[in-house]
Amino acid sequence: MITPETVTEYVQKVLTDARVVVSDRTGTMDHLNVRVVSDAFKGKNVLDRHRLIYQALDEPLKDGRIHALELTAETPDGS
Amino acid sequence: MADPIEEEIQQELKQHKILIYGKGTKTAPQCGFTVETMQFFDQFGYPYEMINVLENPAKRETLTKMTNWPTLPKVFINGQFYGDTDVLGPMQSKGELKPLLEQAFQAEA
Repeated sequence: MITPETVTEYVQKVLTDARVVVSDRTGTMDHLNVRVVSDAFKGKNVLDRHRLIYQALDEPLKDGRIHALELTAETPDGS
Repeated sequence: MADPIEEEIQQELKQHKILIYGKGTKTAPQCGFTVETMQFFDQFGYPYEMINVLENPAKRETLTKMTNWPTLPKVFINGQFYGDTDVLGPMQSKGELKPLLEQAFQAEA
């Protein structure tokens, strides 16, 4: 169980300018869809963008507060 | 002495052009994402292999270190790591995936 605010805090520790939208996929607040928009993704392929998000959320993933993640990672201009 | 688990993985990567490490087996997947990944590849009609690492923590740990990617399923195409459908989906919509698959299976023809 984790709150969207906590998820956002974790992401912003790594991606300081990130806009983060968290949606609960199963009602248990541990299967999440996380959409991240950040300038830091510019020039990075999809795999490396997701790696950044996984690094940011490493702790709640490891301690089980997050069980499953569906990620979207875009730059502000939507590319 | 190379890590035997890593060698086992390298062998598996050589044998299968599309290889999914996941939870459960092809006929008895035990995770929604694993099912989703198989259905994703069913669109293309290329053969793929599913290797169950659910009960193999040592292999899971080795795969995580090799790929710097904490979750399952893990997808490899032509021996190269591509994350999961969250990565493959955008690649497909950008038209990057089809040529990759064609190239992988062309080597065989």
